[in-house]
Amino acid sequence: MRACTVGIIDYGIGNLASVVHTLRDMGFRVIVSNKAADLDVANILMLPGVGAFPVAMSILHERGLVDYLLQQADLGRPLIGICLGMQLLVNASYEHKYTSGLGLIPGDILPFANHGGHIGWNTLVVMDENSPCMESNGEDFYFNHSFFYQGPSKYQVAITQHLMPFASIIQRDNVVGLQFHPEKSQLAGKILLRNLIKSLVDA
Amino acid sequence: MLKKRLIGVVTVKDGWAVQSFGYHRYLPLGKPECLVENLDRWGADEILIQVIDRSKNRSGPDFHLIEKLGKLGLETPLIYAGGVSTLEDGVKIIQLGADRIVVDALLHDELVVVQKLSERLGAQALIGSLPLSYNSGAIGWFNYRSKTSKLISNELLVLIQSGIISELLISDWEHEGLPRGFEQKLVENFPVKEARLIIFGGISNSEQMSALLEYSGVVAVAIGNFLSYREHAIQMYKEALRALPVRLASYESTFSLIEVANAKN
Repeated sequence: MRACTVGIIDYGIGNLASVVHTLRDMGFRVIVSNKAADLDVANILMLPGVGAFPVAMSILHERGLVDYLLQQADLGRPLIGICLGMQLLVNASYEHKYTSGLGLIPGDILPFANHGGHIGWNTLVVMDENSPCMESNGEDFYFNHSFFYQGPSKYQVAITQHLMPFASIIQRDNVVGLQFHPEKSQLAGKILLRNLIKSLVDA
Repeated sequence: MLKKRLIGVVTVKDGWAVQSFGYHRYLPLGKPECLVENLDRWGADEILIQVIDRSKNRSGPDFHLIEKLGKLGLETPLIYAGGVSTLEDGVKIIQLGADRIVVDALLHDELVVVQKLSERLGAQALIGSLPLSYNSGAIGWFNYRSKTSKLISNELLVLIQSGIISELLISDWEHEGLPRGFEQKLVENFPVKEARLIIFGGISNSEQMSALLEYSGVVAVAIGNFLSYREHAIQMYKEALRALPVRLASYESTFSLIEVANAKN
């Protein structure tokens, strides 16, 4: 893979240090910024996040990043959302209150039944054998979330079982959402990130 | 299937990692970052760093330590405990490199702050710490600042049931550091049956871990001192627990993250 720069969207929420270290260890150049001018040089954008949906969307609006992300997705620039970052990619979430998301992937974010948060290591089942994530089929990844994606099956690249099957990877064109934390999933996370970034950048 | 977890615990007092025995006797182990790095390399499922003198001294979270750990680039989820008293504390801890935080004194003092932390960080980022003891058929909730025990308050039970906190760290503080010390009745008699429990205190061997992880409400066991007595202890425990839904032991990097971090600075 040719030299690749990952632009991490810094919107003041979540633990960016782990994502930055993981990507740098893998040989990627990394830019962390909330400014379009800085992020424009990146080959791929990444939207991490730890927190609650309404606060995160509010901060993205405040920092003028909503328009930027929509514009970049429209231009076909690859974008990967991680955990809360994945949830922000869809139409809306019901966390605390109904809040509109970026609407880049059709679907909504709903709570697990009975406060059944999904925390810990769980297995990925990749549905599409042509997916660049196929090498990660059957591997365990670290999840930490209380809400899940519900939307058309055609956008569900991988599923995981917790109380019911739910989407652990979603994708629409060059926009991909990972419900788990690859940067906290040790070797399995690095392999998945490498394959995914390579496929998106080389596409 | 969601796996049951083995959490490596590093206890910090006066800036040093220590072995703790009942939270009243301590033996030094070295620099916290060295122990955390080992747990990361050995494939712990999560790492809990608990700084036990921060709430008592009212000195707030140890941001310097969290930042130092964040710079290691850990590939294992990091949980921080110690001195969290405000929403701003919680947000800063996550930004500096932790993935989840533990609240303890706040459960006695200000449940409204716990609620705010949950609204900002998400319930999944919050763990409630309950130092407990079992005496005369009753569970006592220990306040380590006043050194007194009482029944778990109804207010806290309601909060646990509401899902504002994702998991509870149940510590058998009286038997902490003692081989096979954990009192299983704390699990059997815990008043909120649907609570997800992380068990800590006196957990020393795989048979005991296996018995505890068999309880449906127990999602993880946390191990402190007994990881310090031998290298790669997490991997050995995991090998011994293969019959349970536990993530397999992993064996990968052998280089020092601390050296890499120092080279970059």
